[in-house]
Amino acid sequence: MTAAAHLTPILAQLGPEFFKERSDTGCVQENGAFCFSWAADNFDRYVTPTLEHVMLVVPSVVIGFAIAFGLALLSHRRRWLVPPITGATGVLYTVPSIAFFFLLLPITGRGTDTAIIALTAYTLQIIYRNIVAGLANVPPAARDSGRGMGMTDRQLLWRVELPLAVPEIIAGLRIATVSTVALATLAVFAGAGGLGDPIYADITFKTNVVIAGGLAVLLAIAFDGILIVTQRLLSPWRTVRPV
Amino acid sequence: MPGRYDRSALAVDQATRDGGSAEATQVEFRAATKRYAGAERDAVHRLELDVPAGEICVFVGPSGCGKTTAMRMVNRMVEISEGDILVGGRSVRERSPAQLRREIGYVIQQTGLYPHRTVAANIATVPRLLKWNRARIEARVEELLELVSLDAELRDRYPAQLSGGQQQRVGVARALAANPGVMLMDEPFGAVDPINRERLQNEFLRLQAEVRKTILFVTHDIDEAIKMGDRIAILREGGRLAQYATPAELLMAPADQFVEGFVGADRALKRLSLMRVSDIDLWQAPLAFPGQSTSEVRAKLDGAEISHALVIDSDRRPLGWLSEADLAADTVPKRPSTGPEPVLELDDVMRDALSDVLQAETLYAPVVDAQGRIAGVLSVEIISEFLTSADALEEEHPAPERPLAER
Repeated sequence: MTAAAHLTPILAQLGPEFFKERSDTGCVQENGAFCFSWAADNFDRYVTPTLEHVMLVVPSVVIGFAIAFGLALLSHRRRWLVPPITGATGVLYTVPSIAFFFLLLPITGRGTDTAIIALTAYTLQIIYRNIVAGLANVPPAARDSGRGMGMTDRQLLWRVELPLAVPEIIAGLRIATVSTVALATLAVFAGAGGLGDPIYADITFKTNVVIAGGLAVLLAIAFDGILIVTQRLLSPWRTVRPV
Repeated sequence: MPGRYDRSALAVDQATRDGGSAEATQVEFRAATKRYAGAERDAVHRLELDVPAGEICVFVGPSGCGKTTAMRMVNRMVEISEGDILVGGRSVRERSPAQLRREIGYVIQQTGLYPHRTVAANIATVPRLLKWNRARIEARVEELLELVSLDAELRDRYPAQLSGGQQQRVGVARALAANPGVMLMDEPFGAVDPINRERLQNEFLRLQAEVRKTILFVTHDIDEAIKMGDRIAILREGGRLAQYATPAELLMAPADQFVEGFVGADRALKRLSLMRVSDIDLWQAPLAFPGQSTSEVRAKLDGAEISHALVIDSDRRPLGWLSEADLAADTVPKRPSTGPEPVLELDDVMRDALSDVLQAETLYAPVVDAQGRIAGVLSVEIISEFLTSADALEEEHPAPERPLAER
């Protein structure tokens, strides 16, 4: 099983539609930096890939967060688990993304599942490390006074440690989300669509690449904004001004 | 004066005692020992002492003497290796740590306030763990804010928005929330600047006079120990008890050289900070009234303890000292040439009184009662007599382990 074997049919499937559009006039013919009229006329063809992109990113980050959160809680009172978990998620993180898709193809087949599995795997390292760091950075005095006032381990975790770790946890989610938005453009190689679909359909047509790439960037900014707002809402104490 | 604990709030405090054991409880160390695995010697070695209900017991000693460890054994933040600790007659070892800790107030140096919770939520920590209903928690928070002299509008602030002194008060309020019988305080004023520390100490003593908790207080500062403690346990390295005594006994009769060294060479002076002017026999100055004939005053001066007459008004408030020039006139003037300053109060701490007298470069100063009426005269001579008699006392009681005397 090689990459090339899969690559050719995917691009062959997507390609012709876009190439056909290139045949007519001026800007498009010359492949200018950005053809406004073409963009205006053809913008609707990017709607579905954008939605697909969202549906790749959101489940990947949510599942990634759930797994990383579980792992972080597991290792919170068992510190010896931190290095092996960091190591394992680190290994996943280093697998080249396209290779990851192709490695999964024979197991999970082409499609969204494969893409989400790979994208989820990439989020683990960043999210896990940030949760662990967030919990580790809880002021020892806050932890000590929580215990000293009669909190059980679970109460201490949910009432003191996790709320105090929220800013760092969300910082991790932001990095993971933005990088997942970028990585998801490669999901097209797993046959999962997304904004990679139009990009690789005609990667030589500048206007196309600018629109699809630009939409990916906007998506990243939007997700980041949502997470920043979430963080503000969840930890109002971080933004208070000393009186 | 800002920062005075409010008494009316305390009346309510007494009414809501069902949250914990409102009655102060005795704490007994029974050969309590802490040994860490692999350590050469015990962190706390067979500590044996009783802290009577409602008293402040200060654990003091050099760093590494195990004072904090000893304190933390009480609420099982540190597990006891051998021996036992009884709180209210019950062994702490039989109790679940979480339950035990909810009944023991806990204040630590860096306040340990939760940065993500408002003042009100911080104070409500233990009541919430005890699942009080919301209305009751609200009422209790309000009461406690008043008790520790915090403005009610601070309740929705976060700790980062408070001054160090305010944070410390919130820490104390939080520890008092469920009305525990015992409070543990680990260097509670250690992170506060010296001026505020003094104020917080005074406030806390006033508060304690009302709430009468049994308090175990850890400090490395012997002056703070002398000021705060009803009893002081001096620990030496290896967690051994060097002496357990009242501050006065400690200063008069240190058990050994270690204690003597730790208490400091100025312990005679330190005794002054334990006394008030009212504790000493004052001299009586010949008194004179404006308009009185000077010959009458002269007659009084013969054989008096003090060779100057003090002029007082009709309310017996001191106006000043008569000088030779004043006496040369026929009658006592309304304004004597020497003012009465410094005027001391019976309630003044002796150390401060002495300092005032020395600073004014006089030999004596009038002492007035709470209404400002003359009560006597304090002189440097009386103080020095008192200090020498204290030394004499020490000679009489050289025994290191004298039984505790009632204060």
